[in-house]
Amino acid sequence: MKKINKLILMVMITATAVISSCQKLDMPPTNIFTPDIIFGSEAGVKSFLATIYRALPIEDFKYRPDQGFKVGANDWENFYNSASVTGEQVGPFGGMDIGGGFGYWPYKDIRNVNTLIEELPKYANKLGEAKVKSLLGEAHFLRAYFYFGLAKRYGGVPILTEVQDPGAPLESLQVHRDKEEATWDFIGAELDLGYQMMDETNETGRANKYVAAALKSRAMLYAGSIAKYGSVNFVDGLARAQGIVGIPADKANQYFTKAFDAAKLLDGHYSLYDKNSDKVQNYIDLFLKGDSPENIFIKQYSIVSGSAHSWDATMSPRYMTANALSRSYPTLDFVQRWGALSVTNTDGTPKRFNNRAELMEGLEPRLLATVYFPGATLRGLTFDMQRGIYPSFSGTAAAEVAKQPNTRSYILAGDTKTLYQGKMVIGFTGPWTGGDELTRTGFYVRKYVDAAKPIATVDLNRSEQPWIDLRYAEVLLNKAEAAMELGNASDALTAINLIRVRAGATVYNNIDIDKIRNERGMELAFENHYYWDLKRWRNADLVLNNTRFKGLMPYYVFSENKYIFLAEPELMQRNYNFDKRFYYEPIPGGELGKNPNLYPNNPNY
Amino acid sequence: MKKLLTKILLGVTVIASYACTKIDNYDGPNASFEGNIISTQGGNLLTSQGSTQIRLEQISWSANPSPQEIPSKFDGTFKDTKLFKGNYRIIPKGGAFWPLRDTVVMEIGKDTRRDFEVTPYLLIKNFTATVNGTTLTLKYNLEAPISVGMPSILETQPYVNTTKLVGAGASIRDFSDVYKKAINKPWASMTAADKAISIDIPGMLPGRTFYVRVGVSLNDSFKSSNFSEIIEVNIPAAK
Repeated sequence: MKKINKLILMVMITATAVISSCQKLDMPPTNIFTPDIIFGSEAGVKSFLATIYRALPIEDFKYRPDQGFKVGANDWENFYNSASVTGEQVGPFGGMDIGGGFGYWPYKDIRNVNTLIEELPKYANKLGEAKVKSLLGEAHFLRAYFYFGLAKRYGGVPILTEVQDPGAPLESLQVHRDKEEATWDFIGAELDLGYQMMDETNETGRANKYVAAALKSRAMLYAGSIAKYGSVNFVDGLARAQGIVGIPADKANQYFTKAFDAAKLLDGHYSLYDKNSDKVQNYIDLFLKGDSPENIFIKQYSIVSGSAHSWDATMSPRYMTANALSRSYPTLDFVQRWGALSVTNTDGTPKRFNNRAELMEGLEPRLLATVYFPGATLRGLTFDMQRGIYPSFSGTAAAEVAKQPNTRSYILAGDTKTLYQGKMVIGFTGPWTGGDELTRTGFYVRKYVDAAKPIATVDLNRSEQPWIDLRYAEVLLNKAEAAMELGNASDALTAINLIRVRAGATVYNNIDIDKIRNERGMELAFENHYYWDLKRWRNADLVLNNTRFKGLMPYYVFSENKYIFLAEPELMQRNYNFDKRFYYEPIPGGELGKNPNLYPNNPNY
Repeated sequence: MKKLLTKILLGVTVIASYACTKIDNYDGPNASFEGNIISTQGGNLLTSQGSTQIRLEQISWSANPSPQEIPSKFDGTFKDTKLFKGNYRIIPKGGAFWPLRDTVVMEIGKDTRRDFEVTPYLLIKNFTATVNGTTLTLKYNLEAPISVGMPSILETQPYVNTTKLVGAGASIRDFSDVYKKAINKPWASMTAADKAISIDIPGMLPGRTFYVRVGVSLNDSFKSSNFSEIIEVNIPAAK
């Protein structure tokens, strides 16, 4: 009996095991998303797109040109910007520290876009033909954006338009670099597809067809400048000989024409922000108001989702914020893009001012909205910049500045508590060299700073104003520059004067390329354009040739009860030198190790 | 049981100790490479910090090795005693001389020596430094061994330092970069006056010894400079 029981038990166990093995394991995995879940619905595609948009190389508040694009919750060091190596500002970088880049290599993100382009057409029955078309257009725009981020850094890069199979033979995965010309042409063609296939409008923060056109005007202007100026000022090397970097000079006009035509596509669809008759406030609002008809493509931030930036807290002194650190400051050289400040008399002696704010009289509204001058106010507090006190002052400004510091008769101080005959020696807002949060140039950044925030809320990772990646003013500047390069001065003049009228500046009667470039420098200041402009104009090695920049130091003259301003070397005493090889960044070493076909590296690396 | 355990332990020890006898199958960096960068115009090519380098690529290691560079010393010599033995592709680069097109391929082993010959773009001749009170006057002439096809001349400047190590990046800015003279001309359009340069440096500190040289930079791929020899000057003490 026992035996039989055992036997039955054994048979049952065996039978259970055998029968259950017939259960097919071929079922969709439940713990990962399969393509049909992602691409079969609009919500799925949107979540996939969010990943790609998040990775876009937008050089926003949080971008660190020496480290890369930042999307974390505590990437607060927003003063590490490219403006502070180009003389727009001086800041935490010890010099031209960003020339070698940070090894940007977004082929993971490009693979995502390629997947999207490959998969979307299969789901036309679920998403609808029209939707698939506009999404594909968006994908082509996104792909162009990544390649633009690559081309402006490396020149020619491998153009991958298909999803690589990791199981394929190694040789087929180790792709060669394409020529620089081919890379820019690819970007142009992708943006054309984006323009043709996308709709007129899209959700805020996503691209529409005009975003593609605007980016094309920027990209083609870059390509044209590289063709024109890169064929004159270049670094010799194998990569150049093979066309992997450098574009033939005779292609320049073709690119400038494309830039001009692309910019024209936006005519009538966007306009400059001009809603407030107070020109200063108007220019401030343009960066802070969501309803601006000038915004083409923006990137948004949110405290709740942990993506907020720290612009307000890192551009103003702690005196005017809750708990902040500023570290990069506009230079006098930058401010004098608008013309020399009137701080000296014709005989060379410093002009006497009754108060600091008199300095701002008669200055262009755009300048006042871009930079905080001594005497300006923020959140109810005055920028009381004061470098020190002269008990009395005689002689010329130039002679005083040329003196050795220990022979100058000024009184300086290490803190705001130090008084001279009852007067504060330095201002609450600097300039001072002892701490990090006070200006070293006599100026602070005003652009993008939200003055309406109460002081208590101005803290790190608490700023949500969107970054305007593409705005109509840039498109006009692209158009003007391209037109001028093509010899079309009248279109250039029209575009520049549109910008100048909005800025509250006097209009020009005639135009030349230097005026256009200067206008670009004024209008797009601190927006991470100038570094690339210097590179594509191939004059970075001339502008940053062991160059040091100046600040404007306010002093109080005790015997006269007046203020004077002296143009002196900025107090960080930075030295900026642009090595010619920096016109292209080196291909990242790790990638060269994985793929020897990426050789030759860019010249002189 | 104990015996068995001892035996096993002994066995393991013996096997483990075998691992220790294995030596690295690559030699340490015990090869060295040194030599001179000789100017075809006589003497060594005078260089400075961050100018001329000897670029080495160890092709016996990989087809696309990452390059390494031996910086040239100020007197135009170079030396690296911590190289791996092997076959290298070598070329001097970065200096203000007519670029060499052909790389040298050679074995580097113990005490390998090799000189390289280059033709500088410019020569700085008749360099004199005279002191008058606290003003230092530097006079020199520029000459070009080969003038056709030379990159344009950018600027010339003195380098003043308190040590013998004087040159680009090793100089006192207030006595050096501040007295930079822009030229920005191709050699062909430089007049005789452009080529005879005189620079006054006022306000030198009395009673001190300085080391002085001058350089002239060219708009080649490296924005490199040709340098003069280094002169010692004594500024007389104030009376």
